[in-house]
Formats: sequence, structure tokens, C-alpha cells
Amino acid sequence: MSMKVIACYKIVPEELDIIIKADRTLDMSKAVLKLGQYDLPAIEEAVQTAESAGGKAIILCAGPTEIDNSKLIKAALSRGAAELFMVVDDAMKTADASQTAGVLAAAAAKIGFDLIICGEGSSDIYAQQVGAQLGEQLQVNTFNAVNNIKLNNGSIIVERALEREIEVLDVPLPAVISVTTDINLPRIPQLKDILAAGKKPVTKWGLSELGVSIANPIDVVSTLAPESKERRQIIIEGDSDDKVEAFLQNIKKDL
Amino acid sequence: MIDFQKTEEQELLLESLREVYKRGNFDDYFKECDKNHVFPEKAADAMVEAGFAKLGIPEKFGGTDCDFTTLIFVAEEAYALGWPSLCWVNQALQVDDIMAFGSEEQCKKILDLGLKGIKPFTLGFTEPQAGSDNSSMNTKVERKDGKVVINGHKTFNTAANRSPYMLCIAREYKNESPYKDFSMFLLPMNLPGIQIENLDKIGNWMMQTCEVYMKDCEIKESDLVGVAGKGFYQLMKNFEVERLLVCAANVGMARCAYDEAVKYAGVREQFGQTIGTFQLIQEKIVDMKIKIENMQNILYKAAWKKSTGQSIMIDSSLVKRYTGQAAFQVIDDAMQIMGGIGYTNDCRISRLWRDQRVYRIMAGTEEIMVHTAGRALIKEAMKG
Repeated sequence: MSMKVIACYKIVPEELDIIIKADRTLDMSKAVLKLGQYDLPAIEEAVQTAESAGGKAIILCAGPTEIDNSKLIKAALSRGAAELFMVVDDAMKTADASQTAGVLAAAAAKIGFDLIICGEGSSDIYAQQVGAQLGEQLQVNTFNAVNNIKLNNGSIIVERALEREIEVLDVPLPAVISVTTDINLPRIPQLKDILAAGKKPVTKWGLSELGVSIANPIDVVSTLAPESKERRQIIIEGDSDDKVEAFLQNIKKDL
Repeated sequence: MIDFQKTEEQELLLESLREVYKRGNFDDYFKECDKNHVFPEKAADAMVEAGFAKLGIPEKFGGTDCDFTTLIFVAEEAYALGWPSLCWVNQALQVDDIMAFGSEEQCKKILDLGLKGIKPFTLGFTEPQAGSDNSSMNTKVERKDGKVVINGHKTFNTAANRSPYMLCIAREYKNESPYKDFSMFLLPMNLPGIQIENLDKIGNWMMQTCEVYMKDCEIKESDLVGVAGKGFYQLMKNFEVERLLVCAANVGMARCAYDEAVKYAGVREQFGQTIGTFQLIQEKIVDMKIKIENMQNILYKAAWKKSTGQSIMIDSSLVKRYTGQAAFQVIDDAMQIMGGIGYTNDCRISRLWRDQRVYRIMAGTEEIMVHTAGRALIKEAMKG
């Protein structure tokens, strides 16, 4: 049986379009939606892994009804995957990382998989939680911070750049990994990819079809931009000990 | 109903274009290339690799089928991002010319070059005594001892120094009427007897414009493009498409200058406030925007007519005349908003100002556009 690789992605607001209002609340009403930028390497890696394994790359996305948009669907499918599965439900609007992981787990289980690849975090919330929690909920091998994958016989060799060393692990499949942006340079879709994207299969499920519910949606009390401060413009030039000391003292003053 | 919405596919294609541009981080590189008068090879290679050269070349020749309107959108967007004038990698004009008049073998040869983003041929029309007056071209073709021999002098040949061929118009001297006496040939630029000299110009430094001398250049009968004696008619068809592509550059360059100047107006402070709060600056910005909108509308309509097989004989002249002037005014106003900085070579607007100026002259002067469209409009009115 050929290898099935699923890449997960999130539809997020374009950060450049987010307006910070005077009371520090965020106005996203003018923000166009796009594919999360940290998810693009996940999609690319799934496509490349499936290609070299002679398998199939599938992409998976969960979110409210806004994600069911034909341009966003083409944008995702133009990046090389063969098929898209979407969980579309307005209850996803308030889903937290654990609930999102639960929904993705149910969908992935229904699709079937050997390997699931996530981005390092979403480009809006960037909690870096969904990948790890998805692996836990599926009870499979789970690693984050992966910046290289090689296929082995029935397993994958992954590399993780830790603080002082590169960890190399032989991970039996099935597995869920979260990849860094260093893992590859995602392809830029060409016209033929964009045109082909419109003809690829798309399957849409509601939460009820997956038998999951989002029981206690979290209550967002407030989301505020950090207070903007004038830059201090303290510049310390040089690398002598007293300069470094002065630099440290400046930082310590504010901690 | 008029629909101004780009298709999702067109929008995604433009997003890809912007992504390639952003990833390449080309702006400083272009500045360097401009200063050194060299073609931006590295940037062109990136665009070719991203598939933009093959757009519009039929699939059977290895390209990606693409309608003319989309090619116009893509070219306009590239120039709006800051792509250098005359250097865009898509060779839509050469593709259109050869597909319209070339043999299968010529198509293969030219389209193969187009796929690589190489300008397959320089247009060999203008001669020192034949500028707007095309019919006085006197480059001569003779057939002797089974050979086809070309003698003549062409000028203002864009990219003659880097194109493998010239689409050369030559007079047969068989028919008294020049209109029925020209033929087009695909002349290899590496033939013995060809001498190329670069012209020293005030702008468009990344793309050479040349003089080409042809002395007893021997070609083959199979180098004839289209029908012998129909070269002038073929030339007119070339002009229609060339004008629209030139206009896409006009609109793009105007947008590029506008974007930079408006942003500057929003941050540059004088007299304790941003210059954008001054109504004299606002007036410029509003009039620039009106011109950009008008240019896009007239260009898109003409592109749509060509895409749907309608005649653009009059439209191409109207678009060429209007966008050449309007783009120049927009770029000139952008320079004015920038103040002294706009006049330095460090500011991109100075390059646009130098480069776009020739668009009012090349591919048919704005005065010749009056000559071509004016007569046709009166003729059209008299029909009714």
C-alpha cells in the first residue's frame, strides 16, 4: 500500500491588513484570508515526501465557513498535493488548540495516514500546540522542530536542531511531526498548477459527520495589541567587556 | 454587464509573481544593473524558473496556454513591482508574430528561445531614413545564384546585441508600391557581414538598443517569414500587439512611481506636517490615480477585444497615445512629490522617468498614433 502523507494547514488573516485601533483592540474586518505561512513548508514537505515514497500527499484544513472559499482552496491545492479534505463548521471559530487537534485527529483517522506534517505554528496565534496535541490524541510518535526528513524502510529519519546539537531520530510510522521553516523552500505555484488545482478532489465534512463536538468553546475575554512605546535609541557600540557590561545593565534595569 | 473582477486563477498567478519578486529581493540588484548598464540576468532567470516565460506559448511547444489579457495583467504587475523597462522575460510579441506568420519550423526555433526567456529576435524595421515613415525602408533583399542576400542598415534595434535573430524587413524591389514590396526574414544575428553598435541613451540602461549594419548577409529562402511581398501587412499586425504590450509597461511603471510617491507623501514632513496633508500634493495624487484608472480601463478593454478576436486596429493606437502620455505625467508628478530625492539615481522614480520617456516615441510615436487612428475614425464615421 502506498504511503499516505497528510499536511495540515490553517487559514489565517493577512497580518498586514490587521488594524490596531486606539484602544489596542484588533480590527480584522479588512483582513483578507490566506494560507498560514508556516504551513507552506509542511505542505511542501508532504508533497516531496509522498513523491519520493511513491505515495499520495493530502492536505487537511479545519475552520469556520470562511475557509470554504474556492480561491483559498485553489491556493492550497496549487502547491502540489493531490487531494483536499476540509472540516468546515462555524463552531471552529472559537476552537482552541486542543479542540482543533481533536477535530484534525478525527478527520485524519477517517482519511487514514502514515505521516502527518504540521507547520511549526499558526501565523496568527502561533501557540505551536496543534501538532503536538494532534500526535497525542492519535497516540502516535510525535516530534516538533523537525528540519529534515528522510525516508527509511517503514520509518522516517528526522533531524531536529536543538540548542547545541542536531538530534537524529529514526521514527517508526505512523507519526505526526511539526516542521520548521528551514526544512525547505516552498514552491511558488505556476499557472498550470493553479489551473490543475481547480480540478482536484475536495471533500468537506461537518463536525457531526466526524462525530466530534466542540463542547466548551473557550471564551476569549480580550485580545489586545501590546502598548507601543517610543524606542529608547540607546546604542552601545563595541565588544569590550565594559561595553558588554553596560549593555547588560541597560537590559537588567527593565527586567 | 461589465465585470472588472480578475478570475481567481489570474489573482493567484499575480500572487505567485509578487512572491517570486519578493523572494528575489531584486530592488538593489536592479539599481546595480542599471548603474552598470547590464541586463538583470539573475532576476530574469528567477522569473523564467518560476514559469513566467512560458506563459502564452502553446502547450505543444512546451509552454502553458494563457490568454492575452492575462499576459497583459502579468506584464503590468511585473513593471508595477519595479521590473526594469524592456527586460520582462515573457516574449509575448515575438510569440504572437511567429505564431501568426511563421512556419512550423520557425515557430519551434523561436518558441524554444521564448521558453528560456530569451528575446528571440530584435525587430528590424526602423532605418535611419525610415522612422515613422516605415514605407521608406530600403534594406534590400536580392536572390542571386540560388542565394538570398540582404544588404541594409537598421537602427533602434532593442536587444540586437543579445537576440539570436532579427525579424528583418527588406524590400524586394519587384513592385513599385512599397506596401506590396516588403518581405520579412528571420535573420541569424551571427551571420558574417553583420555589425552591431550600441546606442548611448538617456535611459533603459539595462537593455541595449543598437544599430545593425548588414553587408551581403546570406540567408536561405526558408528564412522568409510569412508571404513574400506581404511584409508591410504583417508589420501592421505586429504593431497592434506591440502597442498593447508597450502600454502594459506604461501602466505598470506609472503604478510603480505612484505607489512610491504616495507612500512618501504620507510620511515626509515639512512645516510640521506630512506633505500629504497639503492640497497641492493631494491634487497630484488624485490626478495620478485618475490617469492610472483610465489607462487600465482603456488597456484592458483593448486586450479583451484582442482576446475575443475583435479588431484592435484603432484601439491599439488610442491606447498607445494615451498611456504613453498619461504614464509620463504620472511618473513626472511622482518625481515632483519626491522633491530632490526623486531626481537622484538612488530613487527608483528617476529610473522610471528616464526609461518611460521613450515609450512616447518607440513602437509608433504619439503623433503617428493620431495619424493612424484619426484617419480610421473618420472613415468609420463615414460608413454610417
